[in-house]
Amino acid sequence: MSGVTPADLAGHPFLRGMADGHLAVLARVCWVAPVRKGHQLFAEGDTARRFWLIRSGHVALDVHAPGGRQLIVETLGQGDLLGLSWLVPPYQWQFGATAVQDTMTFEFNAAAVQAACESDADLGYQLLQRVMSAALSRLQATRVRMLDLYAASAPVRGGP
Amino acid sequence: MSQATAPVLPARYQVVERQEETHDTVTLCLRPVDQPIPAYRPGQFTMLYAPGIGEVPVSISGTGPELGLVQTVRAVGAVTRALCACPPGRVIGVRGPYGTHWDVASAAGDDLLIVAGGIGLAPLRGALLAALGHRERYRRVVVLAGARSPEELVFARELDEWRRGGAEVAVTVDQAVVGWAGHVGVVTQLIGRVDVDSARTTALICGPEVMMRLTARELRALGVPATRIRVSLERNMRCGVAECGHCQLGPLLLCRDGPVISYQVAMPLLAIREL
Amino acid sequence: MTFPGRVGAVNNASEPGSVRLMEAAALDLLFTSLHEAGYRVIGPTVADGAIVLGELAAAGDLPFGWGVQLEPGGYRLRRRGDTAAFGHSAGPGSWKQFLHPPREKLWSARLAEGGFEIGQTGDDSGRDAEPPRLAFFGVRPCDLRAIQVQDQVLGSGRGNSRYAARRAAVLIVAVNCTEPGETCFCTSMGTGPGAGPGYDLALTELVSGDRHAFLVDVGTEAGASVLAGVPHVNAGAATIDRARSAVADASEHMGRSMPAAGLRELMAGSYDAARWDDVASRCLTCGNCTLACPTCFCTEVEDVTDLSGDHAERWQHWASCFDLDFSYLHGGPVRSSARSRYRQWLTHKLGTWHDQFDSSGCVGCGRCIVWCPVGIDITEEVAALQAEAQDRKTGDAGTQDGAP
Repeated sequence: MSGVTPADLAGHPFLRGMADGHLAVLARVCWVAPVRKGHQLFAEGDTARRFWLIRSGHVALDVHAPGGRQLIVETLGQGDLLGLSWLVPPYQWQFGATAVQDTMTFEFNAAAVQAACESDADLGYQLLQRVMSAALSRLQATRVRMLDLYAASAPVRGGP
Repeated sequence: MSQATAPVLPARYQVVERQEETHDTVTLCLRPVDQPIPAYRPGQFTMLYAPGIGEVPVSISGTGPELGLVQTVRAVGAVTRALCACPPGRVIGVRGPYGTHWDVASAAGDDLLIVAGGIGLAPLRGALLAALGHRERYRRVVVLAGARSPEELVFARELDEWRRGGAEVAVTVDQAVVGWAGHVGVVTQLIGRVDVDSARTTALICGPEVMMRLTARELRALGVPATRIRVSLERNMRCGVAECGHCQLGPLLLCRDGPVISYQVAMPLLAIREL
Repeated sequence: MTFPGRVGAVNNASEPGSVRLMEAAALDLLFTSLHEAGYRVIGPTVADGAIVLGELAAAGDLPFGWGVQLEPGGYRLRRRGDTAAFGHSAGPGSWKQFLHPPREKLWSARLAEGGFEIGQTGDDSGRDAEPPRLAFFGVRPCDLRAIQVQDQVLGSGRGNSRYAARRAAVLIVAVNCTEPGETCFCTSMGTGPGAGPGYDLALTELVSGDRHAFLVDVGTEAGASVLAGVPHVNAGAATIDRARSAVADASEHMGRSMPAAGLRELMAGSYDAARWDDVASRCLTCGNCTLACPTCFCTEVEDVTDLSGDHAERWQHWASCFDLDFSYLHGGPVRSSARSRYRQWLTHKLGTWHDQFDSSGCVGCGRCIVWCPVGIDITEEVAALQAEAQDRKTGDAGTQDGAP
């Protein structure tokens, strides 16, 4: 009754290569969710009950710092998985998420997906592989950002 | 012997316009006082002389009016600080142009993908403008630019003009505050979003060496051959004319065999530490 | 023992390719002839416990009867048993100090009115002034080749260097080797012991008992013209034969050798070799090798002003890839370890020089071995690298077999 078919999901880059049977399971626990520009999908500290696959648009993960500054942690867009904290305790969002443009998504019921994975280990493995790939890619990119490559280099200090 | 024919005497160029790009980067628009240096091709560089202080290699970002040059300098030492401080009217020295060029024309009929990190956008700007000047020769012209923050993005004021000229332009930064409508992340993360047609793409990459390696790796993973990826390499340059030995990278003298190198050639050299 | 020839006849019609014979006693007249042709004569002479290159007023300034004793990290003058003037090798200086000076002013400028104006180019005599005419007297075949190697790097006339102008004003009197030094390996590098083309005159010293003469190969018209004013005779076949044999014999008695072929490939394949750590534990990165080497050409450019700030000069001076700031980039040196700097020097000299300049950078003169304070011997290093490469190949072949 969600209106999402396995074929709809098969077209999303995140689920590429997933078996029809598994897609059918996922299709039953997700729905098409358009998000208007400026709408907040979740706030820092909220319980992580859902996750999204972005079909088009632009979402910013943000965090609030003293002095009224809201910093963007990372932006996600077409093809990306939005939400990782639903998979691991304490199932709580670490950052907020806001649509920077009108965005189209598939929204998933996190508890239902987890239950499906519990009863079907194959599905669980397939999903976790893809989640791991996204997380690894983001981790590597984040490490490169931390290198601060565009900063002017300081002269070498230290050592004999 | 006039200055024009003596190849290694700095030619006099006057600063016509000085544009502050970021807190430490300035674009100088220069006009020849005497004879201009020979015409440049995008990717080449000049040795800029801050009178009495010294010389540094600076990529040419484009041409200016009256056979002038546009060059973007980042203040990281005594010479570059002096150059960045030059007000309009000041006369500095220019030698060149030296080195190899991006060979933009070789991408005719195909997609031109330009990936820039930080001030690496400066040597690529000339290539982009050359392509937009003959837009019909290329399929897609895509620019992916990474910067530390929106305030540290060079040529920010020109991006819309580039889009109007027929380029797809996407920008990403390492840090931004809410309100920034662009991406936050590394420039390699933008590659996946632009649907690279690996069979018909020529990629030009410039930025910190780590960024260039990671970008080239990403493109090769998508199937773009190393022979169609070009990078702009950098080493200590002093004479610019292949006589002082400083700019060696293995078998290459970067002032003569570079700075633009095919990634096919660059890849094994960049893999050797302390080469 | 006599040196047969047509005694007493002064032949004024020497041509390139002809072979003459002159007595050692006529060397002074050769010097006179050179001076009259407008040349200052530069050649070997004894000074400060070594045989160095300097301006010679007369033939008597040559190091007659002096030889050297050479070893890795060691150089000593010794008295010879004969009066040979050219029985020595691997002095600390080479001809590059005259063609590619250690310090040179490129230009000066006046700084004023928000700009600058270049005044004089070149040294104080001006860039466009004629460089002095120099006769290089006693150029060993290895050093002749070294000059030609530097011609390739610096002689185009398109760069900073006035090398091309200076080179055009040089006359070369080469001296073939009949007695290699302990550290020589010109034969392996294909640069000696007989001089290749490029000399104006080439002498082969013939000393026996109280007879002292020189076979003279005339290379060019300029050489012939200088020889014209000096008493000499046609060289007889036996004398020529004796001289040629002496040179040929020398090629059998080299103290050291390098692999005949494949140095470029060996260097290209050795970037990860363990041997570099071994040599790095000995190398002081002092750069003596780059100073003594006749082909090392690297320079630094320096801009200076006077105290008033009105006057600026640009100077060029010798630099060494062993210096830490040689490879400075973005806040630090690219080549910071001694391992990487030694590797750069040797792989450039023997390997990537081919890629950059179409020849080897090494001429087998052995100076780097003699003048290294810790006695690093590049022939030994190359042999070790070759052994390591061979081990790697047989090691790889073993594992590819799949055998446990």
